[in-house]
Amino acid sequence: MKEKLELCEVEHVANLARIELTEEEKDQYAIDLKKLLNEVEKISEIKNYDEELLITPVEHTVSLRKDENKRTISFNEIKKNIPKSSGNFVEVPVMLHE
Amino acid sequence: MSKYLDKSIVEIHQLLKKKEIYPIDLVEEAFNRIEKNKDLNCFITLNKEKALKEAKELENLEVDNLLFGIPIAIKDNISTKGLKTTCASKMLENYEPIFDATVVQKIKDKHMIIIGKTNMDEFAMGSTSRTSYFGAPKNPWNKKKITGGSSGGSAACIASRMVPLALGSDTGGSIRQPASYTGIVGMKPTYGRISRYGLVAFASSLDQIGPMTRDVYENALLLNELVGRDSNDLTSAWREEEDFTRLIGKDIKKMKIAVPNYFISDIVNLEIREKISDMITLLKENGATVDFIDIDYIENAVTLYQIIAMGEASSNLARFDGIKFGYSIPNPESLEDLYRKTRAEGFGKEVKRRIMVGSYLLSGENAVTYYNKALQIRDDIRKSFQKAFESYDLIIGPTTTTIAYNLDQDIDDPIKSFLDDVLVIPVNMAGLPGMNVPIGFSSYQMPIGLHIIGNSFEEAKMYQLASWIEKKLNLDLIPKEGESHES
Repeated sequence: MKEKLELCEVEHVANLARIELTEEEKDQYAIDLKKLLNEVEKISEIKNYDEELLITPVEHTVSLRKDENKRTISFNEIKKNIPKSSGNFVEVPVMLHE
Repeated sequence: MSKYLDKSIVEIHQLLKKKEIYPIDLVEEAFNRIEKNKDLNCFITLNKEKALKEAKELENLEVDNLLFGIPIAIKDNISTKGLKTTCASKMLENYEPIFDATVVQKIKDKHMIIIGKTNMDEFAMGSTSRTSYFGAPKNPWNKKKITGGSSGGSAACIASRMVPLALGSDTGGSIRQPASYTGIVGMKPTYGRISRYGLVAFASSLDQIGPMTRDVYENALLLNELVGRDSNDLTSAWREEEDFTRLIGKDIKKMKIAVPNYFISDIVNLEIREKISDMITLLKENGATVDFIDIDYIENAVTLYQIIAMGEASSNLARFDGIKFGYSIPNPESLEDLYRKTRAEGFGKEVKRRIMVGSYLLSGENAVTYYNKALQIRDDIRKSFQKAFESYDLIIGPTTTTIAYNLDQDIDDPIKSFLDDVLVIPVNMAGLPGMNVPIGFSSYQMPIGLHIIGNSFEEAKMYQLASWIEKKLNLDLIPKEGESHES
């Protein structure tokens, strides 16, 4: 069994997670992530009893709330925690270039 | 210095009722104790000014319930309006929620006084509280030792008697395991018993809030006030109101108790096994039936946890993108650049590890290979427990495989934190209630805990056994400086 991931594999998972890694971090995560994935691989050795899934332990029927539009919080309150805002808008970097 | 906080809640209540003391006396004492034990690093944020103000205001109100005026600490992943909720992360270092979690609202409705927000593993990911951005809390029994985690700050502030009540959260043992390491009572109730609204999500199908206290009765008292259906959490359960203290003091004769063989296998430290063995003898001598049984799949629970918890975490933590709240890098070159650098700088190593593995496990075909398979085995674990509960009232075993270890041990091992929780994780998989009750000390005077597992919504029965044990053992659970002599 390999002891570390290939660098391109580390880059792939970091990309999925949208996390930038330095070269030094990539080396360390190549080892750490491989250790974790080796653990996770053990699932293939376990024989399941049947095909039923348990997604949540909730035993009652989950019924949704009515889809109602309620104004419970003002934008001014929300704005306090927004890193960058302008008027009543959340500011994000430019996505589309000419 | 006053010593009101060494008294039981019932005694404090009587004093408040007779106006011999006031909530302000309790709050001032709590802050004095916190100041005196600052080196334990239990709190990330203190709520001093507001707490003192609220205490004064309570003087004009009738003392109408047992928890009125009692200081309480809240784990820092539970949303408190106007009081920073950092999740022990740089990502939320300056985040001030604009709403209260449902449990916080309930606490305020009963006029308990929030003293501060407790230290924890970053986003509750860890078993030692060492992944906190604000440094690890220390074990009051020996400051060189871990408190356990992730609710390590809550556990240590109860153990050191700074406050009588605290809230923790438990995704894979995060209430019970630190409770065991610090010698306190910690309950993870049945999934759905308490609303998760306002608990910063780690793994939504496993997370549960619960009470952490000095003794069993006070734990049940606090649970009484936390439970109930909440329209803001659709997984919260409709249940008839019940008093969780109702079976406390009742005898345990004829109680049928099971001990899974796996829980007393050689993965568990010998001293702990001996304590469990003594407990089994004591229970049998007093009329309980104790049988050793096998519960299929419980030895696989850690593997399932790694898949389910990391998968759900990667999805839940996708919200931390530097746009809506929390840390955000200055001057990003693009939206992608903002995401990647904000998450790189805002999250710690353990959290990044888990998000990356979780993202991988849920991507493409992996979702079927790993996640679906894990959910199938999860269903099998639940069925195995259900089968056991057809014949037994409760299941017991040790809460931990080891005694609290040194703060600098195995610090960079990515697997260790999962293995620390090997005995407590199966309970989260099945959504069952589990609790820790102290049952003694190691040869180095560090606490050892018993894990009690109940059937769904049978917390009252667990308190019955726990309180019986507590009374029978009558342990001195107040840490004495320097008593634990292991270096």
